[in-house]
Amino acid sequence: MSSCQDSVILEARNVSRQIVANGNSKKTVDSFSYTFHKGDVYNIIGPSGAGKTSFLRLLNRLDDPSEGELLYQNKPLVSYQPTEIRKNLSLIFQEPYLFPGTVGSNMEYCKSDCTEDEIEFHLEQVGLNSQFAGKDVSELSVGEKQRVAIARSLLLKPEILLLDEPTAALDPTSSQTIELLILSLMKEFCLTAIMVTHNPEQAKRMGGKTLLMVSGRLIENGDTSELLTNPKTEQGQKYIRRELK
Amino acid sequence: MIETGYVQVLTAFFLVVIAFVLSRIKSIPVEKEIAYGSIRTFIQLIAVGYALEFIFKSESLYLVLLSVFIMLLVAAYTAGQRARHFKGGFAISFISLSIGSLITLGLMLVLKIISPEARYIIPLTGMIISNSMNAISITFDRIGSDLKNNRLEVETALSLGKSWREASQRFYRDAVRAGMISILNFMKTAGIVALPGAMTGMILAGVSPLKAVLIQVIVAYMLLSSLTISSIVAGEIVIRKFFNDAEQFTG
Ligand SMILES: Nc1ncnc2c1ncn2[C@@H]1O[C@H](COP(=O)(O)OP(=O)(O)O)[C@@H](O)[C@H]1O
Ligand SMILES: [Mg+2]
Repeated sequence: MSSCQDSVILEARNVSRQIVANGNSKKTVDSFSYTFHKGDVYNIIGPSGAGKTSFLRLLNRLDDPSEGELLYQNKPLVSYQPTEIRKNLSLIFQEPYLFPGTVGSNMEYCKSDCTEDEIEFHLEQVGLNSQFAGKDVSELSVGEKQRVAIARSLLLKPEILLLDEPTAALDPTSSQTIELLILSLMKEFCLTAIMVTHNPEQAKRMGGKTLLMVSGRLIENGDTSELLTNPKTEQGQKYIRRELK
Repeated sequence: MIETGYVQVLTAFFLVVIAFVLSRIKSIPVEKEIAYGSIRTFIQLIAVGYALEFIFKSESLYLVLLSVFIMLLVAAYTAGQRARHFKGGFAISFISLSIGSLITLGLMLVLKIISPEARYIIPLTGMIISNSMNAISITFDRIGSDLKNNRLEVETALSLGKSWREASQRFYRDAVRAGMISILNFMKTAGIVALPGAMTGMILAGVSPLKAVLIQVIVAYMLLSSLTISSIVAGEIVIRKFFNDAEQFTG
């Protein structure tokens, strides 16, 4: 909380990712440059197919850029061990996958030496009581699965949470619970959150900064309230007007 | 016992006619395959018979090795065709089939289970290679489709900091086991559901059932060893093709 300074934690320098899909090459992320600071929340918004998921995958190193460079704590992302750095920049998928078994076994899979106390502590962090540890994952609702996925990530002591539309499958009440949860976790552990959402209302509630992607490009960024009320580009205005209605 | 000759074979062709007529009446579209297949079987096997006769008589080690090599090539080509999900199927098949069959065969020679004669080496190697070929084809198919169908599971494991090996371990094991399933099932039901082909052949050719059984047991163990080795080697090489050095799933 107090030690959560506003230093640069992550930087994208002219990052592109080119893929070849059915013979055509296209850039899912196109010349993306931005600097992220520790402890802040960043919303990435934009129409479907804009490249939001593709960008998060680059940060978790599930894919690598074809051009440009990503820097984590001022060092190239590729200079870290992939298996280690992925724990620091933890990715929560849009549809969380839990391994067959219990919630507890999912936590242990993540960190084999984790204690029962640790499991309970992190389940409580995400608002699930300790009885959940023994539950089979097939009994969980989508919202509960999403929370377990977050708890599982927290075990790895991440610096940055990468969240890909974590509330896409949830009703409005559960969505807001997850939003508040993320904000409180950020405060408690001085986490940085980069959260993809297709819903500008959600970005508004999260606050912080907002980045607008269209066709792989970062076309606008700024303080969330400023960007949402006063988009500078024509594309931005069109998108915000349509989404906020 | 009736001595088997060309006359008996020609008479047995009557059985082919039954199959042909029946499928014609019921319009099952296999006429061409029956006609072609039954003649092909005849020609192929007669040719092989002459070749084996020649090799056995010549007692040339080079001819034995050449036959083994040709069997490996053909089997590797066939299994390689099944490698739909990745490149290099032929080479991978060739390597895994060679390792599986040569280790097994080598051990059988060293342990003096068989003597180094063409009449043992060629038919046994044929069984080893054809069974291993089927096994690795299944392993190939299984690894590719399982990994592709479970991309989210694999990438979730990677995203949690697991190595590619940990992330894919379950699929590797399942695929190797799938390749071995035929010999595992065979050993469970051997002799009960059906008499194994080799044993049937030996009994028909006049070997006493007790002797035929002993040979069949050795054959089963031999297949178990070669299938296990070939499937493991094939799985081990193939699974790497789906990941890169940065522990990324590229399949
Ligand atoms: N593996 C892939 N194969 C083919 N096309 C892909 C692949 N991954 C992403 N894309 C394409 O890249 C673009 C960006 O996708 P994505 O990052 O999922 O967008 P978003 O998350 O913003 O909806 C889309 O046009 C999508 O079709
Ligand atoms: Mg997406």
